[in-house]
Amino acid sequence: MDIDPRICVNVAVNDEDVHNIVLSYLVHNCFTGTMESFIACTGVKQPADHLVDMEKRKRIFHSALDGNALKAIELMEEFTPGLLEKNKDLHFDLLSLHFVRLVCSRRCNEALGFARTKLTPFGKEQRYVEKLEDFMALLAYEEPEKSPMFHLVSLEYRQHVADSLMRAILEHANLPSYSIVERLIQQATVVRQCLSQEFGKDGHQPFSLKDFLKS
Amino acid sequence: MGGVEHEDPPSKRVKVSSEESESFSNSSSLREPARCSLSDSMARPLESRGDDEVVGVKGVVKKVELVRIIAEALYSLGYEKTGAHLEEESGIPLHSAVVNLFMQQIIDGKWDESVATIHKIGLMDENIVKLASFVILEQKFFELLDGEKVMDALKTLRTEIAPLGVHTNRLHELSSLIVSPSQTAIDGTSDQRLRIRSRKKLLEELKTLLPSTVMIPEKRLVRLVEQALDLQRDACRFHNSLVEEMSLLTDHQCGRDHIPSQTLQILEEHSNEVWFLQFSHNGEYLASSSSDCLVIIWEVKVDGRISLKHRLSGHQKPVSYISWSPDDHQLLTCGVEEAVRRWDTASGECLHIYEKSGLGLINCAWAPDGRRIFCGVTDKSICMWDLEGKEVECWKGQKSIRISDLGISSDGKQLITVCKETMISLFGWESNSEKFIEEDHTIISFALSKDNRFLLVSLSNQELHLWSIDGSVILVAKYRGHKRSRLVVRSCFGGLEQAFIASGSEDSQVYIWHRVSGELILTLPGHSGAVNCVSWNPANPHMLASASDDRTIRIWGINQVNMTQNGRHSNGVCYCNGAT
Repeated sequence: MDIDPRICVNVAVNDEDVHNIVLSYLVHNCFTGTMESFIACTGVKQPADHLVDMEKRKRIFHSALDGNALKAIELMEEFTPGLLEKNKDLHFDLLSLHFVRLVCSRRCNEALGFARTKLTPFGKEQRYVEKLEDFMALLAYEEPEKSPMFHLVSLEYRQHVADSLMRAILEHANLPSYSIVERLIQQATVVRQCLSQEFGKDGHQPFSLKDFLKS
Repeated sequence: MGGVEHEDPPSKRVKVSSEESESFSNSSSLREPARCSLSDSMARPLESRGDDEVVGVKGVVKKVELVRIIAEALYSLGYEKTGAHLEEESGIPLHSAVVNLFMQQIIDGKWDESVATIHKIGLMDENIVKLASFVILEQKFFELLDGEKVMDALKTLRTEIAPLGVHTNRLHELSSLIVSPSQTAIDGTSDQRLRIRSRKKLLEELKTLLPSTVMIPEKRLVRLVEQALDLQRDACRFHNSLVEEMSLLTDHQCGRDHIPSQTLQILEEHSNEVWFLQFSHNGEYLASSSSDCLVIIWEVKVDGRISLKHRLSGHQKPVSYISWSPDDHQLLTCGVEEAVRRWDTASGECLHIYEKSGLGLINCAWAPDGRRIFCGVTDKSICMWDLEGKEVECWKGQKSIRISDLGISSDGKQLITVCKETMISLFGWESNSEKFIEEDHTIISFALSKDNRFLLVSLSNQELHLWSIDGSVILVAKYRGHKRSRLVVRSCFGGLEQAFIASGSEDSQVYIWHRVSGELILTLPGHSGAVNCVSWNPANPHMLASASDDRTIRIWGINQVNMTQNGRHSNGVCYCNGAT
């Protein structure tokens, strides 16, 4: 049983709510320019000191995405001191990004030295051992992108590290780690799936956001 | 002999100095691969030198191969000169010149050259070339690391080893090693196989990688001889004693004198037919039971003499079955369709009587933990009791018929009983699963091997069938020759590593077969009545006991006189009482 769209029409939607949703999305993803335009257009209240933070977060995110881990670390020391000491996994991920950069630019000496001084200390804990071995394996290949460990040098991996970084920073600042619109979508999907499971076992497809957006 | 350029016998063999394992920088002395008058043949590939010539009566031994492994044996033994001489005189080189060069390069640590040489050997399989190259370059890598040449090692790893595309996991391990050479930093344990090894060991490994036609495996001749000795030992039908050394000069063959065949003692304490007897697991006691309702525990003294220890009376019916506890401290005895009694071996005291009111018990067995017992009942069920007599479980149905044999499998999880006339059930008493052995004739009795992995079934058609019951049930062998038509006649396993099968017989003889070949090797006359049961001492392969309707028990042993004449360890005092 699918929900009759006509029922939805009767639910009132508050403009202010919508503005807040959009704003939170822009703030979450550090789209400062867009945010400023949006505020100018709609007259929504600008979030207090978020602007400065957003700018910083944006820079950290992009450093990580580019693989410039050392820069990211430096900025984090400034912005969120002590976070990396507490979050060792994150620290390891960032350092490994730098290692990957060195290996990809064929600076083997440096890579080796960096690995020895910065990465091997993590090896004392069992849970880092396997990850460490995977990264060290990159040293063996002249073309790491073509090795069995190619996923470690990919953009997807950097994206993944950058995303974890963002969530950690937001959590540290007591901000939600998912934007409101993301949470709304997640909730709607779950609710729809539950409904379709309960009422129609036969022939009903699971809820597809894509189809819903098109309809 | 013209053409020889050296005064010494030419040495085509690679020389390996004995201190080589310590330092790699001094390469061992190398003599140029020598020329000899047969230098032409050196250049020719091995195939075209009358490779088909054979030696030996059977025509299966190729001369070239034989000479090559003899030469390898000579070198292994350290007879360099003789080895070289053989190569020269026979015109058959142990290894081709290319291979010799290769081996020398390995010993000298000329890695790049040796990798190049491998490609020249003419191996058909590309993969082998890669695997061998990997192993060689790995050694190079380790030696560089050992010499603190880290960047060179890294370069080797990246440009030479990685492109081979084999042993990816190992490659990654080597990578980790560069970063932390001590290895303890990474996983906290120092791994033996990651440490450097000697060039000699490398050569040995290469010999196993490359086909044996290219490089003769180390000590091949000795291996062949060892195989022959193993086969001789297995084929020895009377092999029943631990042989200290086997000679290469004659085929190994024990004589019959290692199998118990002389009556050493006749025990006459029972006043009626002796139906059952069994040695304890440690071979220190023998228990016998008779239709006179008596059970006797005998002690096996150190000198091999058997003496009476306890007379256990109490049963009102003939006792047809005895079971020793796993630790031999206790004994279960079963009167025919009567009760089961538990006795203490040391004191002879009856500790408990197990009964089922209105019913009789027909057999008994110990659980492997020695704390519970199983009994078959006349109503065809099987009961399990704890030692105090509390009934723990009872399995009804067609579980056990009148045959008084009950066994437990090697894993302690299956009860073995005769559930139908022609069927044995292996009943998993915890899992409730069941396997069956189906025969074509009525089953008379069965016996389990010491490891409980084999079952010997005695059938009404005068055959003994050997079944393997470990895992799937398979018929392995059959034995015939003995006589059995009216009575219950029992058989057993015995001898060194249970290599023999023994059985009683209605013709008053004991029959002994060689287990693997199925051959009947001995029949022992002596009793004057049907032999009902035999038991071979598990701790002494030279002692066999038989129980007979003539009311006696005979203890059989080996012929003492012959033993001492052969200068072997004598079994003890010769007290043969003249019976043959």
